[in-house]
Amino acid sequence: MATPIDRVRIATVHFTNAWPLTARLDHTRFEVLHHHPAEAARLLREGEVDLALLPVASVLTDGDYRIVPGVCIGADGPVQSVLLVSEVPPEQWEVLALDGCSRSSAVLAELLVKQGPLKDRVPTDLTIFRTEPGKALEHAVGKGAALIIGDPARELPERLAERIDLAGAWKDWTGLPFVFAVWAGRPDLDAEVIDELRRVATEGLALREGLPEPDRTYLTDAVKYELDDRMLSGLRRYAALGAERGLLGTRDVVLYGPRVQAYRRTDLDTLLCKGAEGERLSFEEAHRLHLEAPIADLGSAANLRRWALHPTDDVTYIISRNINYTNVCVTACKFCAFYRPEKHREAYVLTEDQIRAKCEELVSVGGVEVLLQGGLHRSLGIEYYEELFRFIKSNFPLNLHALSPEEIFHIMKISDLSMEATMERLAAAGMDSLPGGGAEVLVDAVRKKIAPLKCTTDQWLEAMRMAHKMGMSSSSTLMFGMSETAADRVEHMMRLRDLQDETRGFVAFICWTFQPDNTYVKPGDNTAADYLRVNALSRLVLDNIPNIQASWVTQGPGVAQASLHMGCNDFGSVMLEENVVSSAGTTFAMSVADVERNIREAGFNPVRRNAQYDHVGAALTRENGRRAPAPAT
Amino acid sequence: MTPTLSTVSRMALKRIGLDDLAEKVSAGERLSYEDGVRLFEERDVASVGALANLVRERLHGDLTWFNRNLHINATNVCEASCIFCSFARLEEGMDAAYTMSLEDAVGRVRALKDRFITEVHIVNGLHPGLPFSYYTELLRAVKAERPDLHIKGFTAVEIHYYAEKYGMSYEQVLVALREAGLDSLPGGGAEIFHPRARKKLCHDKVDADGWLDVHRTAHRLGMMTNCTMLFGSIETHEERVDHLVRLRALQDESLAAGRGRMQTFIPLRFHNDNNRLSKLAAPTGHDSLKTIAISRLMLDNVPHIKSYWIMLGVKIAQVSLWFGADDLDGTVLEERIYHMAGAETPQGLPRHELIKLITTAGRVPVERDTHYNTVAEA
Repeated sequence: MATPIDRVRIATVHFTNAWPLTARLDHTRFEVLHHHPAEAARLLREGEVDLALLPVASVLTDGDYRIVPGVCIGADGPVQSVLLVSEVPPEQWEVLALDGCSRSSAVLAELLVKQGPLKDRVPTDLTIFRTEPGKALEHAVGKGAALIIGDPARELPERLAERIDLAGAWKDWTGLPFVFAVWAGRPDLDAEVIDELRRVATEGLALREGLPEPDRTYLTDAVKYELDDRMLSGLRRYAALGAERGLLGTRDVVLYGPRVQAYRRTDLDTLLCKGAEGERLSFEEAHRLHLEAPIADLGSAANLRRWALHPTDDVTYIISRNINYTNVCVTACKFCAFYRPEKHREAYVLTEDQIRAKCEELVSVGGVEVLLQGGLHRSLGIEYYEELFRFIKSNFPLNLHALSPEEIFHIMKISDLSMEATMERLAAAGMDSLPGGGAEVLVDAVRKKIAPLKCTTDQWLEAMRMAHKMGMSSSSTLMFGMSETAADRVEHMMRLRDLQDETRGFVAFICWTFQPDNTYVKPGDNTAADYLRVNALSRLVLDNIPNIQASWVTQGPGVAQASLHMGCNDFGSVMLEENVVSSAGTTFAMSVADVERNIREAGFNPVRRNAQYDHVGAALTRENGRRAPAPAT
Repeated sequence: MTPTLSTVSRMALKRIGLDDLAEKVSAGERLSYEDGVRLFEERDVASVGALANLVRERLHGDLTWFNRNLHINATNVCEASCIFCSFARLEEGMDAAYTMSLEDAVGRVRALKDRFITEVHIVNGLHPGLPFSYYTELLRAVKAERPDLHIKGFTAVEIHYYAEKYGMSYEQVLVALREAGLDSLPGGGAEIFHPRARKKLCHDKVDADGWLDVHRTAHRLGMMTNCTMLFGSIETHEERVDHLVRLRALQDESLAAGRGRMQTFIPLRFHNDNNRLSKLAAPTGHDSLKTIAISRLMLDNVPHIKSYWIMLGVKIAQVSLWFGADDLDGTVLEERIYHMAGAETPQGLPRHELIKLITTAGRVPVERDTHYNTVAEA
């Protein structure tokens, strides 16, 4: 590693176009030698410097070098400083002198003359030769032509009327930009040095604006300093063409790679053990695990915890139906693709007949629960819900899993009731439990951003507290992957855990990821790893919530299977309808047979449950996927 | 510092009775055939994955590789009758059968004139009617159009077919193709080596010894190759392990000879649409992750394990970066073979999406060339 005492030796060139890359070098850290390009190449080749601003021909030919990413001296079209010059047009040339001070440009000139657009213009017997550095110009008399590079090319005598800009000719030929030089060095150079050179370049390039003309225009418009994909494409094309004609070596174009990350893991060990053993994690500890623990280890800890809490091969699921009784909603959450305004042509409120038909269908396939959720409709008050609940409960043997806190608040407002009275009346009408929907992220700063019209964290928790008090159970949820931080997610889990200490009313927790539908990747595809991380963490943090449910609806069956070995003991539900998530793009629709197969293939025994997580029956299919003979319900 | 297993992962492995394998892997010892079968019999994919992750991190830390390439499948006319294939057509003139003219094929390369790619991947059906010169001319034409592109092409199955059809040795075929511009071999056509499964899956394809011999010959000529395994159709766990062990043995030989070698193992997930195995359920994500993890553990001498996202699905491919995989393949342009078998993945992932996929998994993306050199900033 470089220290102020042990300076890094670098060679650069004394051309104007190199100036921005070196102007801000710290001479206490770098020992800088200025030479012409060929000499810089020799110094690096012979190990006299660690790094050089190297003509690309040398990079491709000389040794096992690496290139500093992001920075180069190149051009995308005419560059003004690399020219073939003569008093007469190419058709009359007899000799072409290539200045020996830069091999890259000499090879470029040869390619253009022997294979490229100049091939058909120059005489077939044109004599090409190389001169000592700086000596080419003297051959550009009469029918002679010369390759002139660097600052001399910008100060040519007027008699040399024929001027061919090589970077311009290259662009016309290949459509690509051209790279003349790059920072290149030994492969083992310290990553800090690489970072420093890039920083120096950024600072140096900012100085260009203050330069006098014509230098300012030359360095800002003609010379390009960013080694991007197109520049690299140009470099590779040049390398390949040069190698094919034997003008260049066959070295690969290789950049200095990113550092392999330092191993940051060992001191997390104690924390992971603590979580795995079911000891309570503090906010700070959970936050640290979220940020730093590898997914593999969080998964192992959560898996140990899962087996401690559920020492059985059973994985439960529920057959349920999501009935969205209305899609009319006044809230307009940014992430919701489901709601419609009241007057919209797709707006609806389900009729009793429609609801009856849905329930009948559900019961006929062995369903045990109806999940009733809907929008906030301005004309639906408590009587509507009481009637609806009584209708369902008196006609069907179904668990009524209903209403988000949002809907409860809405009913309170429309019917002018207290929360206690509302909950009491809903429970009396037959409501058994609440899904934990609408929790999103229980941090007000986040809620304000993603759902400004929804209830506050305290209101949400208060609704759950009241429901638990009335004897109803509920699930708890976390929807992540919007604008929240890791700390917000952990805070959310802390709030749920605190309430659970008080009420013991949460039977399960389920997290899922926000499902955007606007990328090339299938919606939410890049959230799978994060999902497993947050899910595993939740098993460790929520030490008082018995069940953790996998979200195959958002993650797909494969990731959900993995989560069964990383904290989950439940495979969610087979839903006869899932309107809300599917309007945002993602549905992994699965049948009973699919769900049972996925549970089995993951190594578990599928069991049907109800909303309270009691087992209600064995699997409906056999190992071979066929329907089991006499389904017990 | 060498990565070690965390205490929780060690405990999780002990819970399922795999502590002896955890010890072996931690000590860098080779796993046996029996160890491999035991791993496949274990359901706890998280613990097996954590063990594979140890090996992955020892080799590559957080680095995760990808590249940008173009796939050319010059013809899908194929004499072989592999029952898992949805791509091939037996004869010219059949529905959806095609053979590209050289101009077509080169046109595909030319269309990407201004795109940054470093590699062309060329694999084809076993066309009974084309002369050998079709392939050499194809290579020459692609090289002439884009001399900067690395050409990875022709599976061992194709090499074997040409050798038989045109009366040449493997070496003669490889030398002729290399002279025409071929740089390395892909790993396709390995399917399952074990004769029982191979006979059912692809009875008229080159057998295991032939496949391995083509790669051995390529290695002797100094060429790099890849290797694959088609998993999740009719093969047993034992046959998967047998397959991995055979690859490992070849790699031992080639490493000892010190010339070419296998760079990357790619487990290929069986897809069940539009082929004669449609009644078979496709393997689940659980099986994919487990197979990737066990491949990492068994193939201790093959540097890279690639999750081919086209076949695995983007989510499983991302998660697999914690189950032993260190490569996500590339922003493939124009993939046909798996899409004809019902793969629902997009045909190409833009580079920024691929980078996001890697970074959101907590890994460090590196854009590579065929030889795993860093070629562009990610």
